[in-house]
Amino acid sequence: MTEAVELTDEALIARMVDGDEEAFSALYRRKHPSVYRFALRMSGNRALAEDVTQEVFVALIRDAKRFDPAKGAFAAFLFGIARNHLHKRWELDKRLVPSGLGNESANGNGSRNGDHFSIAIQSGAVAGNGNGNGASHGPIAGLPEEFVSKETVARVRKAIATLPENYREAVILCDLEELSYDEAAVALGCPVGTVRSRLHRGRAILMEKLEEQPVIQRAPAVGE
Amino acid sequence: MAMDCAQFEEIVHELERVGTQGFAHRAEALAHAESCAPCGVLLDKVISLDFALDSLAVQDADEHAPARVQAALLAEFRRQHAEAARPRRSYGYAAALAMAAALILAVAIEAPRWIAHKTSVNVAANGSGANAPPKSGAAVNDAQMPANDGNSAASESEYATNFVALPDADDPGTLEGGTVVRVTLTRAALASFGLPVADMSSTDRIPADIALSEDGVPQAIRLVANADLDQSN
Repeated sequence: MTEAVELTDEALIARMVDGDEEAFSALYRRKHPSVYRFALRMSGNRALAEDVTQEVFVALIRDAKRFDPAKGAFAAFLFGIARNHLHKRWELDKRLVPSGLGNESANGNGSRNGDHFSIAIQSGAVAGNGNGNGASHGPIAGLPEEFVSKETVARVRKAIATLPENYREAVILCDLEELSYDEAAVALGCPVGTVRSRLHRGRAILMEKLEEQPVIQRAPAVGE
Repeated sequence: MAMDCAQFEEIVHELERVGTQGFAHRAEALAHAESCAPCGVLLDKVISLDFALDSLAVQDADEHAPARVQAALLAEFRRQHAEAARPRRSYGYAAALAMAAALILAVAIEAPRWIAHKTSVNVAANGSGANAPPKSGAAVNDAQMPANDGNSAASESEYATNFVALPDADDPGTLEGGTVVRVTLTRAALASFGLPVADMSSTDRIPADIALSEDGVPQAIRLVANADLDQSN
């Protein structure tokens, strides 16, 4: 329905509370990808991300009136619910350790399989595609831009996955989902200053991690 | 004012973030990085990180939950709203039915006694020719009252609350005729009519007058008390 798509989040919520299924569908289509991505990046597990996404919107269906626009944006409200559900799930299953994100081989095909969104990257190095150009740290000169981008993305994905949880969620919300400090503070239930310091610390750790990993591991030369 | 390295490091991660200190002092920060080699290196790293994070965000932009999640949620949405509508209706019906049942029961129990009593009162009134009770007064000397002589003196010793319309009563303006019957009800039954009742566990029965419309539908209720009894208690 074109009309529902054009409505604000608040208007859709009001309609949804009144039983308008189309409004709920529009709201879901609009908001669920970011909730799903957040859960996926936080957990590294697609099945869990699905569950959390479903639980977030079930909670919305059951008690949409809990959302108060005066307290923050709707997205922040949803991220807050998602975060709570993630914590519950982690408490229920202590065996689940957030894994690396993206089961992507570093050959740039971006394929992902299985339940885990984990990286097929060995610690300390990305398994290159054997082009043997010997490039190592820092900005990569002389490589196709697309290749560099995918390599870089894979490394950053893994680095984020290994961040301490507090820093990881700040980076995901502020840098990847582009929430403001205020919105992230609502989602994380902490002061704005805490969000800012966590984000800065998280980014600093990310830079350290990325420096530790060579961008491309040079393939050994024949006979080497 | 020139920026120092500590200030630069404080804001370097938010130079591109609108609404932050870093964004507000972006020009000074860039100027500092131009003149300070270590901060220039740090700025390069931050820019590389920003680029990498942007690339990751773009690559994941199409990530979304499978369609089955939406299907399950729509089913839950329908179920939730169906349930939300159902209980209100059923509770309303249940309350109305309970109230009607209580009234019918009360009337069925008390009406024969009231009719018999009314007959005797009328007979007495006709016989004495004095102080025939008003229409509602006929119900006052109900069989639940002491089996006195049924004269009008009993009604003078009673007091009653105002009638309170029952929840499903008709518009009073449309009512014609009707009658008032005296019943005794348990406290629980009174509470079901929306009357404030204390000590619900008590099993004693409270006298009350119920106004019936001409077609016998209960319209209003009032509580009745006997002053003599109250004083004696």
